Amino acid sequence: MKRVLLLLTAIITIAGFIFVTGCKKMNIVESTTDDVNIVGYLDKHPDSFSLFRQILERTGNAAFLNAYGAYTCFAPTNSGVRAYLTKISAASVEAADLNTLKDMVRLHLLEDTVFSKSFTDGKLPVITMYGQYLITSVANDQGVSRYIINRQASVLESNIRVGNGIIHVINAVLLPATKTLAKQLEEKPEYSIFVQALQETGYYTKLNTVDPDLSRRWFTVFAESNQALADSGITSYAALKAKYSQTGNPANANDSLNMYVAYHVSDGLKFLGDIIGTATHETWLPQEVVSVKLIEQEVILNQDVFNGVLEIGVKLDRPKSDNAATNGVWHDTKAHFMVKYRKPTALYWDVSAFEEIMKLPAYYKRANYNFARPTEADKPIKDHYWGWGPLAGTNTLSYLYSTSSSISNYSVNNDVNMLPMGLPNRPVWWEMKTPPIIKGRYKVWICYSWQKQSSSSNMLCQVEVNGVLMQRTMNFTDARPTGTDAELEAIGWKRYIENASNSNRQAARQVGVIDFPTTQQQTVRITPLVGTQNNNNLDMIHFIPIDQDQILPRFRPDGTMVYF
Amino acid sequence: MKRIIQYSLMAAAVLVMTGCKKWLDLKPQDGIIKEEFWKTKEQVKASVFGIYSSMMEGSTGNYSSTGYIPSLSELLFVWGEGRADNIAPATFASSDDLELVNVNTQPTNVNANWRPFYRTINFCNTVIEKAPEVLANDNTFTQAQLDNYLSEALTIRALMYFYLVRSFGDVPLKLDATLSDENINPIAKSSRDTVLNRIVADLKLAEGKAVTSYGDVASDKGRVTVYTINTILADVYLWMDKYNECIAECDKVINSQKFGLIRGATVNGPVIEYNDGWFNTLYYNGNSNEGIFELQFDAQVLNPYVRMFSSGFSTRRWIMAADIMDRVFTVDFTNDQNYDIRGDGASVRAATTTIWKYVGVNAISFRVLEQSYAHWFFYRYADILLMKAEALNEINNGADALALIYTIRQRANALDATDLAPAPGDKNLIQDFILQERSREFCYEGKRWYDVLRNAKRNNYARLGILLASVSQSVPSNMQQSAQAKMQDHNSHYFPIYLYEMQTNNLLVQNPFYR
Repeated sequence: MKRVLLLLTAIITIAGFIFVTGCKKMNIVESTTDDVNIVGYLDKHPDSFSLFRQILERTGNAAFLNAYGAYTCFAPTNSGVRAYLTKISAASVEAADLNTLKDMVRLHLLEDTVFSKSFTDGKLPVITMYGQYLITSVANDQGVSRYIINRQASVLESNIRVGNGIIHVINAVLLPATKTLAKQLEEKPEYSIFVQALQETGYYTKLNTVDPDLSRRWFTVFAESNQALADSGITSYAALKAKYSQTGNPANANDSLNMYVAYHVSDGLKFLGDIIGTATHETWLPQEVVSVKLIEQEVILNQDVFNGVLEIGVKLDRPKSDNAATNGVWHDTKAHFMVKYRKPTALYWDVSAFEEIMKLPAYYKRANYNFARPTEADKPIKDHYWGWGPLAGTNTLSYLYSTSSSISNYSVNNDVNMLPMGLPNRPVWWEMKTPPIIKGRYKVWICYSWQKQSSSSNMLCQVEVNGVLMQRTMNFTDARPTGTDAELEAIGWKRYIENASNSNRQAARQVGVIDFPTTQQQTVRITPLVGTQNNNNLDMIHFIPIDQDQILPRFRPDGTMVYF
Repeated sequence: MKRIIQYSLMAAAVLVMTGCKKWLDLKPQDGIIKEEFWKTKEQVKASVFGIYSSMMEGSTGNYSSTGYIPSLSELLFVWGEGRADNIAPATFASSDDLELVNVNTQPTNVNANWRPFYRTINFCNTVIEKAPEVLANDNTFTQAQLDNYLSEALTIRALMYFYLVRSFGDVPLKLDATLSDENINPIAKSSRDTVLNRIVADLKLAEGKAVTSYGDVASDKGRVTVYTINTILADVYLWMDKYNECIAECDKVINSQKFGLIRGATVNGPVIEYNDGWFNTLYYNGNSNEGIFELQFDAQVLNPYVRMFSSGFSTRRWIMAADIMDRVFTVDFTNDQNYDIRGDGASVRAATTTIWKYVGVNAISFRVLEQSYAHWFFYRYADILLMKAEALNEINNGADALALIYTIRQRANALDATDLAPAPGDKNLIQDFILQERSREFCYEGKRWYDVLRNAKRNNYARLGILLASVSQSVPSNMQQSAQAKMQDHNSHYFPIYLYEMQTNNLLVQNPFYR
């Protein structure tokens, strides 16, 4: 008996062991992540997304949104989808037109991950799969600010990271634009005069087509409302035509009415957030640009300073602008504007009068100042820049001022800009942006104060204007030759300072002739060819229309011009 | 035989068991444990000093890579200036910095990591909780000494919460010490009113316990005195729109006659005489007669500012806003000997767009990295005067407010172009004037954003426009409209709770703007 009892105890103990240990189920992780994908996330929240999920299933998008990838999905909630179904008069998802649904879904999908930090006042950086850009903004409703997509839906929850991308939850379905620029404007009676001008000049057709080639599809129109025209005394199309159409045929490209319309259209899709990023935009009128400035929240076209005179520009009406169409976007201008024709005018540019030094009154026209560039990424001066010199210490642009030093005693304002140049150690080019120069044909004069760092120094340079290589080289170590004005001009030299007797140090070298097709800031780049030295003293650059006097005026050290 | 073996085994067991004693002892042999600490007054003192040095602790990890935890000294700057209009991100600024400027802060933004502040708060809590125990253990430790130490801990804790409540709105109010992992409990947010009331209560309590002087200048400027407490209280009252209380606290500091402004410039007929030692006394050396409470970095404990601001370092994160000389200080183009002493060469170095206050030795030369020990100025006497002016203006005493503003202006030779010359009854214009003067006076001292927000939120956001104007200065043009619309949501003025905190404390609720 005792033995049986012992055996029984043993068996129970062993069984107990087996039972207890055997019971434990090993939990083997088979997946690398338990993150859900976009569709998985929608499935997890059927209260909010069951209808959108249903649409994805019906349009055949569910499969790829559940697979590996990087997408951004703007997911509308059920209430948003319901409102949409009512709008397209469909009783249910199943009853809706399949192609409409497909288009709709593709407008909600981006083939990249776009977080809310990329939302600007303009379009998203990535186009939707439908082929239209979405625009973003922020609106405040009863104290709560939310992102607004396409002016149609507000974002309820953003940046939900899922396995294959991100989801932004929106409260309404986004609708693609269905009409072209031309059609949209035509529908609005308050633009009737502008639209009639579009039609009569023939631009209507172009603005009414949607080019399948994405690179050529988009246009930006600055539309003038009847009110804006009326403010300038133009109350009808007839009045507009009477004012501009000198040939009587607006379809003629040389007709001023044609030019007027062409000047209001630009290539590319530019929402306000995009427009203000660039200073000038080319228009359909060849070589004419509109300039853009942002002044205290107002986007202003064509507000520029020419020869010291501020020309007041035209404001865009922000709430009425940013209207997306199938082939572009249009904006509303608050006033009438037309391209300005300006005669080419000489620019006598004192390069050492740049903003950054003028902000330092203790130095500007008083003392030397060094603009160092500690690292290649730095840009101490907005309009003067240079190719990084291999020897870091040479990357300093010096503002030199002196009334006594022979370098600048006769220079304009007694100052010059000095930049070391030339391989192997010094900066490899010197580039500067001029003030706006009116389009036309100009001779370019580089006015410098010659200096040799040592007797053997040489500094032969070529000059490029807007990337066009000038015909003649110049050399910072060459003094001005002697001769009469006429003799000098014949060989491409002039005396640009008043002082005729003491010095041939201040020299002006005519490097060539350039056509500026567009009125804007132009770019001058000086590239060393032979030699290297520190003392390259640039005083002025003259841009003088070819049919004007190239020699006069000359300059006094205080900056006044003299005509003898 | 069998017995012998049994006995010897037993004996061996006894030996082994007793011999074990030391091995089972878990006290570290090379350190001090909680039970053995908090015995002497020296240990209390060391813990209180630990609070101060915790504020000077450096950052952990590599900036702009994951896992980076910013330092408190860096956050003081970023929180106070990053969202306002006087700075711009430099080349080394991370996307987190850019998003901060662009009003695009996300819960993942490292600049919203409040950890350094709660770390210092825990040091304070530990002192407040454990220091009283020492009275029983150390007979040479007096109640008066304990009170002094407690005043320091209470004040620093209140100051930390004041930063948190202004930056995050509602925050968890943790008032007991976390001494070990067992003390870690999730804790929910308290409303900002609760936090502010607690700050006031703590500061009032501390005021009764604090010293007026420690007997040496460095301690008086670097440790909490009665005047530190009065000054913080004034700031807190101003934030809570309690103007008479604010004025009372300011008066306590003014009437102590222990502080004054360091002379900057004196107009002597047509000539303006500048004090060449002004920058050196006030900023380079610190601990001047004007300082009320400063974070005293030194050669042993460097601050991160030279790396953050100096144009000589590729790690430069912040530069001055490009238009600061024109907009804030202005320039007299007709007379270069007429300038605001706080402008070029003091707050900024305009030529290299450098934030100069913490990296300059004088108007021209740089601090080298080893000299990166400019103090952080929590409060200066100028702050007392301008806080009082702001409170006076709110209780319709514009005339006295203007007198204080002009005192500050004359000290620095503020240029006429910045004189708004308001009538004593023009409350709004005086508000603008004070705000602008504060921008000049405390340029880059971590106050700008709080100044803007305090003025904007007053009277139920009656002057939200101040905030919108500030945004339009610093946000890139293609995001301005969005940023302004966001600013109209008052919740956006407060940071999101950092993602890590959200994940580890399940009682926290995210600021609704960032959901």
